[in-house]
Amino acid sequence: MKDKQEYIIEVKNAKKIYRMGSERITAVDDVSFSIRKGEFCCLYGSSGSGKSTLLNLMAGIEKLTNGQIMIKGRNIHRMSEKGLAKFRQNNLGFVFQSYNLLNSMTALENVELPLVFKHMKMKQRRKLALDMLKKVGLGERTKHKPTEMSGGQQQRVGIARAFVSNPEIVFADEPTGNLDSKTSMEVMDIIKNMARANNQTIVMVTHDPNLAQYADRIIHIFDGKVDEIIDLKNKDTKDSDLLSPLNTRPLVESEMLPAEQT
Amino acid sequence: MRISDRLRMGIRSLFRRKVRTLLTVLGVVIGCLFIIITISIGHGMDKSFETQVKEYGSLTTITVDTYGVIYDEDGNWAGSKEQKLDKNLLEQIKAIDHVRAVTPVVRAEGELIFGRYRSGISISAMDKEAFKEFEFPDLSFGQYPTDEDNSTILFGFYQPWEFYDPNSRMWTPVQVDLEKDKIAFKFYSWQYERNERKREFSIPLNNIAKMEETKSEFDYNTYMDLEYFQKIYLQYCNTLTLEDRKKAIKVLDEYQQIRLNVDNIDNVEEVQDKIRELGFQSESLLQYLQPTIDASKTLQLIFFFLGAVSMFVSAISIANTMVMSIYERTKEIGVMKVLGCVVKDIRLLFLFEAGMIGFLGGTIGVGLGYLASFLINKYGEPIFGALMGGGVAMGDMQGATFSIIPIYLPFLALGISICVGLLSGYFPARRATKISAIEAMRTEN
Repeated sequence: MKDKQEYIIEVKNAKKIYRMGSERITAVDDVSFSIRKGEFCCLYGSSGSGKSTLLNLMAGIEKLTNGQIMIKGRNIHRMSEKGLAKFRQNNLGFVFQSYNLLNSMTALENVELPLVFKHMKMKQRRKLALDMLKKVGLGERTKHKPTEMSGGQQQRVGIARAFVSNPEIVFADEPTGNLDSKTSMEVMDIIKNMARANNQTIVMVTHDPNLAQYADRIIHIFDGKVDEIIDLKNKDTKDSDLLSPLNTRPLVESEMLPAEQT
Repeated sequence: MRISDRLRMGIRSLFRRKVRTLLTVLGVVIGCLFIIITISIGHGMDKSFETQVKEYGSLTTITVDTYGVIYDEDGNWAGSKEQKLDKNLLEQIKAIDHVRAVTPVVRAEGELIFGRYRSGISISAMDKEAFKEFEFPDLSFGQYPTDEDNSTILFGFYQPWEFYDPNSRMWTPVQVDLEKDKIAFKFYSWQYERNERKREFSIPLNNIAKMEETKSEFDYNTYMDLEYFQKIYLQYCNTLTLEDRKKAIKVLDEYQQIRLNVDNIDNVEEVQDKIRELGFQSESLLQYLQPTIDASKTLQLIFFFLGAVSMFVSAISIANTMVMSIYERTKEIGVMKVLGCVVKDIRLLFLFEAGMIGFLGGTIGVGLGYLASFLINKYGEPIFGALMGGGVAMGDMQGATFSIIPIYLPFLALGISICVGLLSGYFPARRATKISAIEAMRTEN
């Protein structure tokens, strides 16, 4: 029992098939793995490998074709729409590649949004949101609208929004995909530090091997399947051995294929 | 989401598209305005009919007179004919459908006597049940005739006329207190020849009742129970010469008028047609008012139609606005869904926006409705006066109200506006909830 509880996310034989007219495309093909609580897990793979689809499946945004995904021991694909929404309010946070901030709202209001859905009182949520913005270094820009901010700032608002309700799991889909390398590092540091401070589980999708280094564990997705799982936590074991294939092969691939955003 | 948050978000998104919101609201305003004008004019007309009815008698009353006036097809006077009204006819009229009450009316001329002063009077005698059936006014003192005591003489508010001394040269009227002073009544002596051996007939009036003011025909007439009248009339006849006595008694067999009440205003015309079939001309107030009523109904129908059409158009424009708004905010809806917004909240958010458009339109519409009502009452006389006067109440047209807004009307109009908003927002809102989060987040904007 104790072993099972330690796994906060369990993916069992997950399968996703898209139908494009008469053609069937298997985006995720019979994938199984588990993620421990407090782990920083990276779904790493090239464009079109199905990693983003897998993340969406784990977050319950997309429907599974087959198999099951358990989060905190609950099958999220068996939940009602309302139940899933409530579950997201309380347990999940999201960081998107394109930030997905609401342009009509100020930074502060954007961060408040998940708390609004949770029926939190104005005063309380304003305080939490302000704290959060300070933590991501935007204490001075709370009244600005997303359109008046740089990409890095917008993503920091996005991170604040993802963490404001203190969720146990934060899903990040290419969080630095639209940022330059320096800002990317800053953003990754923020995510990692925040998650560590509250023992939160991070599931991040990336195609960038450098970003994958931030993770405790890298799940390498290739062609809709788990290619290999690399544990980086026990660095003293086979640190260099594990990293070498990762550093070489995908880099070659990403050089050959034009980077395509999912 | 808390209700306050829904309000805030809804108002924010309405404000984001000010011009579009304003134009949509305008549609509702026009619809709401028409509804208010329609109903307020309807009430104004009802009110004006009510006062006319008070002044000229009940709209359900039909009278058949000895001299029936004949009108041609266009309602012009074409002469009159003498018609014999007797018991036979009374029974025939009673048998007509929808006739609720019938009474014969016998009129007699005479004078009131107070010492040496005299006052001419015309008494209308009718069945005592009629005083109830034809909605006679309340009495300031005295009692309507009953089975036990039917000797009451009922004076209208302005009755009797003033008392003068016929032998004096001065013709100064004297004040008579009907409750205290001793007054007697006698029939005019010039009508029939008196039997010289008998004393002139006169009867003291001990049972007097007086009506309150009604501004109607009652004010200028004096009434009596027909049975009692016949009794004193026969007593009077006994004082006449043998020859004239027969003539005088014969008068009782004929009535000066038959008055009947119809159960419903809609049946007045039908009953009048039936009386015509019996060979008698009848009159009713309704036949004068009918063209007015028809015109006002047509006018109201036109306004109602305009109101309904503009409400329908504004419903379409609200629906259109909401659909556009949802297209624009597809991505937002997707993000909100992923962040844990319950479907119900999304639906309520859009419903609130649509309802808000209805509410704003309704509120402004009600405001303009009051303004329009004011303007109609102030400057609308040339148009509405012609429609509503109907040639009957011409004297009182000055300062008349054509548009009356009853208390419930602003609420009704507002309610309709909000309902139109909610109804036309319902399907777009439902559509918004059906948007798949993943599809929504992929859309660009």
